[in-house]
Amino acid sequence: MEPVIHARGLGKSFRNGTVAVNGLHLQVGTGEVYGLIGRNGAGKTTALRLLMGLLHPDRGEARVLGRSLWDAPREHRQRIAYLSQSQQLPDWMSLEDLNRYTGHFYERWDSAHLRSLARGWDLPWNSPITRLSGGNQRLAALALALAARPEVILLDEPAAGLDPIARRELNQCLIDALLHGNGCTILLSTHLLGDLERLATRVGIMDHGHVVAEGAVEDWQRTMRRVQVVFAGDSSPPDFAIPGALRSTSLGPVVTALARVTDDAQLDGIRHLPGARVYVFPLTLEELFVDWFRDAQPQSSTDDATPD
Amino acid sequence: MVPKLHLHIDERSGVPVYRQMMDQIKYYVAGATLRPGDQIPSIRELAAALAVNPTTVVKAYTELEREGVIEKRHGKGAFIAPAAPQLTQAEQEGALRRSAKQLAVEATQLHVPTPKVITVVREELSALGPARGTESEPVKFAVMAGGN
Repeated sequence: MEPVIHARGLGKSFRNGTVAVNGLHLQVGTGEVYGLIGRNGAGKTTALRLLMGLLHPDRGEARVLGRSLWDAPREHRQRIAYLSQSQQLPDWMSLEDLNRYTGHFYERWDSAHLRSLARGWDLPWNSPITRLSGGNQRLAALALALAARPEVILLDEPAAGLDPIARRELNQCLIDALLHGNGCTILLSTHLLGDLERLATRVGIMDHGHVVAEGAVEDWQRTMRRVQVVFAGDSSPPDFAIPGALRSTSLGPVVTALARVTDDAQLDGIRHLPGARVYVFPLTLEELFVDWFRDAQPQSSTDDATPD
Repeated sequence: MVPKLHLHIDERSGVPVYRQMMDQIKYYVAGATLRPGDQIPSIRELAAALAVNPTTVVKAYTELEREGVIEKRHGKGAFIAPAAPQLTQAEQEGALRRSAKQLAVEATQLHVPTPKVITVVREELSALGPARGTESEPVKFAVMAGGN
């Protein structure tokens, strides 16, 4: 059976020549929480917009719940919620208005859930959205998205502009969505990697328009390490390499690597090198991310372009 | 009555979250804070309280059940098993040693003299409660984030 979210060979360029998404493959299964991470301009936003059918791909396919959203009927589209970076609610309306108005369009609309989220977040029920702070407008948009009880949720940097308390509440309501009824599937892009360590089942690093590395969060936490070897002399031995290294730098007698250490015995060989001291440190996703990109080649100009 | 479990999830430890949960529940059992027959929080409660993915809690509970530490009673929830295996002395020491090893590495890099390291450890133990950190109190273990 096809995964809930399915992208294959997906590509999209813009008129200014920017190649935003370039051969993207992405498969997200039922009940997964998939975190899409990457530098600004890596193509995350465009990828989500393609999946949502808000943009038409130049090539490849993007399907959610078995079909392209570009030409899907409303009944299909309303099973999927999307929170963009710049959500525009009709801001003269209050949450109460929006609850009544929007609710008509959704079969599974859950007014009680919307009220309870609004109460929990202290969102005013009767004031026009425009009177809310930026962070609260974002939470209001999220609450409305969740009130539709979607089966699939796509979030583009949902926590941007939220304070730490609001961020935690956002995470908790996503967990609530996972626990409700038959659960749901979540794909989110984010720069807040600490949150992903708790929330996500899988993470993909996006660069130059496609996923360059992907893994189960649990597996990364268990195996990704920063390994540092300090030699006694002025330099490291020629041809020295840390086993399992994915990225490696060397400065005089110090060699540092981002390495996949599946078994501690893997390092025994270098532990016994004369004059070598070996240090192994766990890595957070954030450190992994920084290490991954730190020594990347100078990036082409298309990288700075904002996709939309 | 479900006791309030204080599980501490450390996003910086490099230890998978389910593993941290498993270790800490085992430590609670080993320290007799949790006793056979005690009910532990439901998957839903724990996921919500810790803001972690429910599948992670499911994984921790499934592993703990497989190891005989907890048991699920149909429709009632999860409980500490009557014959929950205690940590052996070696396992206690192993858990402690993993953290100690990391501490030793960092202390060496920072050129912190050994007596200072010991003082710091003692202070951290005291901070956990009045029963800790006194000379007469044999320090068994006090690992918050667990290892492996």
